[in-house]
Amino acid sequence: MQPEIKTLLYEAEDHYLKPEEIESFKYHASSLAQRLETYELLRDAELALFQPVADQLLEAFPQKQQEMELALKHWLSVLRYCAMAMLMNNPEFLQRRLLEWLVDLVQVHQMQVIEINLYQLLQAQLQEQLSDQNLALVQPFLAQAEDTLLGRTNLVQLPG
Amino acid sequence: MLMITVADLIQDERLPGNYFAPDAYIKGDFESGLIENRRGDRLLALPETLIQGIYAGLEKELGPSSGVVLFNCGRWWGKNFYARFVEEVSDYYGKNVAAMEMVEFLQCLKQCWKTHGWGTFDLDVSHYQQGFLVVKIWNSAFAAFAPPGNRPACFLEAGILSAFFSQLTGRELHCLQTSCESLGADCNHFILGLPHRLKPAEVWLEEQHETILERLCMSTAEGS
Repeated sequence: MQPEIKTLLYEAEDHYLKPEEIESFKYHASSLAQRLETYELLRDAELALFQPVADQLLEAFPQKQQEMELALKHWLSVLRYCAMAMLMNNPEFLQRRLLEWLVDLVQVHQMQVIEINLYQLLQAQLQEQLSDQNLALVQPFLAQAEDTLLGRTNLVQLPG
Repeated sequence: MLMITVADLIQDERLPGNYFAPDAYIKGDFESGLIENRRGDRLLALPETLIQGIYAGLEKELGPSSGVVLFNCGRWWGKNFYARFVEEVSDYYGKNVAAMEMVEFLQCLKQCWKTHGWGTFDLDVSHYQQGFLVVKIWNSAFAAFAPPGNRPACFLEAGILSAFFSQLTGRELHCLQTSCESLGADCNHFILGLPHRLKPAEVWLEEQHETILERLCMSTAEGS
């Protein structure tokens, strides 16, 4: 459940919700409807979003098919977990259920160039296929993933 | 022509994430007062008083041998822990642990360690060529509640690590703790290696971890 709605329910244990609390509830309930819509769009567009990314990536790195498949799997799961985190409006879900675990796996393979390219291509596809409103809902979670998985590039040891 | 078909990459539908994420892994039931993991196996919470009581009771009954007893308890428990860990991880990720990449296996172990509340865990393999693995653990409850002393106190963990890595590598490995949070160190260091290779270090425990490791590696170089 969205943390904001949960908080309102906790606080209402001994009284009716006050008008401003009702307003806040309405806002979050309507936001939930938009989030659900965005979630469905992302779910249904998974292949349509990623196939063009895969095709363009293959043009850029024709010799690295195996690495690309691995990177694509990473970002397919990133978008799935971003979608669920967006639906629940809960960045901690994304961090704990995926990013914290995935970060070492991404960094050990030293495929940052491919991963960064993939992320940019994915962003372009999302901008093309989602409305601004839908995109705005999922964007903070993608930024969180980018920051965790790709943001520490400078700290990764360079191959000797 | 080269092609990647994304539909093939996701044909089995599942893209598993962090199996040991605490909110997914640990379930509690307030009515029965039980905690379980996500497979329904019972978990046991160890209160601070119990840990202190274990140390105090063993010390009273066994005196200086209490460390050996805790180490052996750890070894016994570690064997079962390894078997359960491997079963859970291979079931969830749909592959045998032998088919997993080392980094993936290790990441699962780190998350598992943390979610069970045993602190944060890291493995340093940079002395692997000399025959030693180094484990670092931060925030260990067994160090935090250890009685005052002048030797590293995490015998239970040393036993667990010894059993776990012996089964993982298929070689009988001993484990020696070389720095301890209970003695003011920044983390607990454990060195894993073949028993006869680690033996000399048992009398060097008053030295810093780095010195002990260096001496062990040097004795290896001389011996080979």
